[in-house]
Amino acid sequence: MATGGLNLSSEFFQLLKAIGESKSKQEEDRIIAKEVARLKQKMESPPSNQTGPQAAFTNPKKLAKEFLVRLLYVSMLGHDNSWGLIRAVEMAASSSLFHKRTGYLVCGACLPPDHEFRFMLVNQMQRDLSSPNVLECSGGVLACTSIITSDMVPAVAGEVTKLLSHDSATIRKKAILCLQRFYQLAPEVVTQEEMKKHVEKALCDKDPAVMGSTLNVIESLSLENKALFKHIVPSLVAILKQIGDRRLPAEYDYHRLPAPWMQMKLIRILGILGQADIVASQGMYEILNEAMKKADSGINAGYAVVYECVKTIVSIYPNAALLDAAAEAISRFIQSRSNNLKYLGVTGLAMIVESHPKYAAQHQLAVMDCLEDPDETLQVKTLDLLYRMTNPVNVEFISEKLVHFLSQTPDLFLKQVLTDRVCKIAERYAPNNAWYCKTITQLLRVSGDLVQQEVAQNLMSLLAEGTGDDDEESDMLLRQTAVEMMVKQLFSEHAGALPKILLETMAWCLGEYGYLSAETSLDMLLEQLCELAETRSLPITTRKCLVTAVMKLVAQAGTCPPAAAAVIDEYTRSKDMDLQARCLEFQTILTHCPQLLPEIFPVDASAEDVQVDPNLSFLDGYVQQCLHQGAQPYDASIYDDDDDDDDGYGYGGASQPEPSFKMTPYEKPQTPAQAMMAMAGAGQLRSAAQSISLPPGSGGGSMISQPKADTTPQLSLNTRNVANVWGKGGLSQAPQPASTQTPTTTHIPTPAPAPSWGASKTSVSTPKAPELPQKTAEQLERERQAAALFGGIVPGAAPVPSAMSLPVPAPVPATPAAPPPPAPSAPEVDLLDLSIWDTPAPAPGPVVDSFDVAPASLAIVETVSDTEDEPVSVPAPAPIPAATMDDPFASMMGGLQDEPLESFPAASSKFEYNGVPMAPLQITTAQFGQQWGNCAATTPTSVQTTMNLTALLAKLEEVGAHPVEAIAASNEGIAAGMIGGAQLVLIHGRVTGSSVEMTIKSTDTGIATSLALFLSSAMR
Amino acid sequence: MIKGIIIVNNHGKPRLVKFYQSVESESLQQNVIRRVFQQVAARPDSFCNYLEGAIPEWGDNIKLIYRHYATLFFVFAVDSQESDLGILDLIQVFVESLDRCFESVCELDLIFHSDRVHYVLDEIVMGGMVLETNIHSVLQAVKDQDRLHKDSLTRVEATESASHIQQRLGGDTSKWQYNW
Repeated sequence: MATGGLNLSSEFFQLLKAIGESKSKQEEDRIIAKEVARLKQKMESPPSNQTGPQAAFTNPKKLAKEFLVRLLYVSMLGHDNSWGLIRAVEMAASSSLFHKRTGYLVCGACLPPDHEFRFMLVNQMQRDLSSPNVLECSGGVLACTSIITSDMVPAVAGEVTKLLSHDSATIRKKAILCLQRFYQLAPEVVTQEEMKKHVEKALCDKDPAVMGSTLNVIESLSLENKALFKHIVPSLVAILKQIGDRRLPAEYDYHRLPAPWMQMKLIRILGILGQADIVASQGMYEILNEAMKKADSGINAGYAVVYECVKTIVSIYPNAALLDAAAEAISRFIQSRSNNLKYLGVTGLAMIVESHPKYAAQHQLAVMDCLEDPDETLQVKTLDLLYRMTNPVNVEFISEKLVHFLSQTPDLFLKQVLTDRVCKIAERYAPNNAWYCKTITQLLRVSGDLVQQEVAQNLMSLLAEGTGDDDEESDMLLRQTAVEMMVKQLFSEHAGALPKILLETMAWCLGEYGYLSAETSLDMLLEQLCELAETRSLPITTRKCLVTAVMKLVAQAGTCPPAAAAVIDEYTRSKDMDLQARCLEFQTILTHCPQLLPEIFPVDASAEDVQVDPNLSFLDGYVQQCLHQGAQPYDASIYDDDDDDDDGYGYGGASQPEPSFKMTPYEKPQTPAQAMMAMAGAGQLRSAAQSISLPPGSGGGSMISQPKADTTPQLSLNTRNVANVWGKGGLSQAPQPASTQTPTTTHIPTPAPAPSWGASKTSVSTPKAPELPQKTAEQLERERQAAALFGGIVPGAAPVPSAMSLPVPAPVPATPAAPPPPAPSAPEVDLLDLSIWDTPAPAPGPVVDSFDVAPASLAIVETVSDTEDEPVSVPAPAPIPAATMDDPFASMMGGLQDEPLESFPAASSKFEYNGVPMAPLQITTAQFGQQWGNCAATTPTSVQTTMNLTALLAKLEEVGAHPVEAIAASNEGIAAGMIGGAQLVLIHGRVTGSSVEMTIKSTDTGIATSLALFLSSAMR
Repeated sequence: MIKGIIIVNNHGKPRLVKFYQSVESESLQQNVIRRVFQQVAARPDSFCNYLEGAIPEWGDNIKLIYRHYATLFFVFAVDSQESDLGILDLIQVFVESLDRCFESVCELDLIFHSDRVHYVLDEIVMGGMVLETNIHSVLQAVKDQDRLHKDSLTRVEATESASHIQQRLGGDTSKWQYNW
């Protein structure tokens, strides 16, 4: 302690000591309460009467200052000190600078933002700001930043602005930051335009410190408005160069590195300004390269500069040489022994890997290290990286890691994020359906209700509908696997404490396919489900699902065990009307006509169609009979409200012919809420079309009359992945040989269909890293894991996983992600097939109207088909010509098939992004419209040209897009393209005669902006 | 922007609290301090010095960047505008400045001279933005104030002589960090 004798009163010293020694929060609170009482008392008596025991503390000013410090202390420990703040305000007006500062300090730290005392300080601050004393002035500026609120800005802004040309650099550097603060508080008083002017001046200040603090302001302002400072890029580059050349005074060096913080800020600003700006970016390449080399001096501050360079290089218009240098720097970070640098390495890799997957390949083992590190920050970052580099080959490994992490972390926010990510990669890259089922079940277990309902719905649709390749056997196998998994969950300990979404899914699954379980008999299942259904702690919706499952199993078993009867009997008294009605009806059927049960709950028919006879022809006989007996004929005009009369319809008996009514929303299972409702049987919906109560649904909308497996072409769950062709394809910017579904192609060297692969000089070619000659078993295991992780990134590195043993369908799917979609040659499934509306067939199932969940799913069929029919009914949007079948890589290219390397010489007319040319995407207008919303990045652009619509579309075609449609009536045209088989590009242009207004949308911001630039220059 | 700076000791007692983005109430402020301490204290020194997304009072994507010196944690809460490693070194600059101000600073200095710690910090960070990273300028500014302090109190305090500082500046700066 330097200041020797403590300048403290003994009271304060005792206080600090007591606080320091206090053992509990309560004790601390007591001490502070005492202190507060003492201070209050002191405040009331004039300070001059206070005489401390020590001679040195007779100075009243000194005591007053200490009083404030004690106030600050009280507030820091979380106690109210508002009663003493008036003293701080008084003190701010003191003539002693030191006291003044103490006053300001306490005011700034303790006054609530809207406190009236703040206004009392304005005058004082104004005086200080114009004080000739530099320190007073500087104290005034400091006080302004912490005390001024938005209404007070006009009172002091003028004074602070004047200070920008103060003689002292200390004042100038503070004034510019203070003004920035004012700008944030009151942009209408200190405008952006003004700030720009001030900043330009301050940047050229002769004192480097002023320039240094100005950089903060430039960064904040350019984040708001990039255009504001585009013009100073050359100046910034020049400053950076001068710093690099050590033109600043040596005192700015930090560990012999010239002004590292200024360098960082400068490089950061360059990164912001260079985004999507080729010209600006080109001006930076050289200096970035230079700064990165010079900063690489092995100290932290140097790494900080290097890391900023990496970030900037990734964000500006790409340059291959710099990217290589950045990757090199990242690789050194990631292999560093310091966790801080590893963290930067993983973060940096995650930034670069999405657009340049090749760089990930070298770091397999290092990434594995980070993943196993006990440091959670590092783990989370690594998981983020993994998510970004997921591809069809490593998806199993990565999702396993994510699920494992999920089961351990208590952080809810993180859990939600990771859960969504697992769902996303599982749906996008699932290698086979059994894996998908397993992963989702695990996920439901560890994340519970954080999982979106639609995910569970998708799982059930998959089970109900099968894979869609008409292979009933494999479908059954899949169902059996799923059932066994669910049975395991059911019989696990604390099954009642499982997440409700898992219980509901399980209830449906076992209710439908419980009989498939090889290990467990129906009786045992029933018993366990009954027990679960009686668990009071579960929400009623979940119990409802369980009860429904019990009913289904009773129907399948043919007998009703006492336990089941008891459960159902109990719920006939349920407060939940729907459940009560179901149970009562079930009881009635069970006692009166049990033979109907198998028909009400048909086995394995949840995906079957049900035909509804809207004309109710089955009632004709009955009607005739009544008419004969003198009844009045029906007059629609009297009964046209659809209220009660539907009970009279629809239950004529089970004599309906060909059912064709689709009960399950199986075409694009993405209307989760409603679909789940159907499952839960919560809907008492009525068909709006005919006001008919539809046949009883059994839980999953499965009240189906007749199985007719062979007539309806089944859709695979994965057909929805067709959308991924134009969705974000993860790492598939470059073709990935290892992800080919034909094992034979795995080890064929890449024939360089994309330049990025050709340039990949560092790719590790086998799981065995050559630099490790001696391997322990553990190492081998880790390498195996690493290989699993990096499969699909390194050519030939990953063995094709067993999952790939799926039969290869005749046409290779356009997306590497999707398991075989239905062969394009198969008859198109018309999911709009709502012909049921006019197919006469009576509803099945008698007197069970309140089971009519089916209409709920019906409604879904309707909505879904209205909006999202296209991608499902078209198996692959860009049907690959048969010729590409010979080239396994062509199939990986997605829409790129006609863009081989030789097109590069003509690069001037084609748009390229990172060296990958845009390929036309053959889609329809409807698909275009649907994808429009999916593209996150939007860049509008306007080009002055007299081009007409035909010329525009021709131009777009020339650039590499597929002209989708020209709408002559409104002079609009749309075109679509694809980059790297993963990034979708949509272009909408409107021709006005003098100009073309275009909106460019893409799944990638970089692509959208650079295409906009490219097009506007190409069309001028 | 730097949202706040908290110095807290190994037992969770705050030694300096500076909020550049204020939170609503004092109890919330105490919550923040407590949570920051709990998260930071749970991490061994071998872990990296970053913690992500942890303080809802300051918004999403707040990163805690901290350093642990003997009995004290220096925690800076920053948003994405700040450089991770840069802030780590800034903490170092701050501590180095304190060290030179107090001559081998220790926790007690922070307790007994909390106002002075604030003044040093004010010369480094202003309104959540990095004002000065040059230790010499920081020390100069603090020294100027000390001089005035002296004058205004007409009482001579034992302050560091310029030569003393110079001597320390030349010395090895890596040793003192753990020498509280």
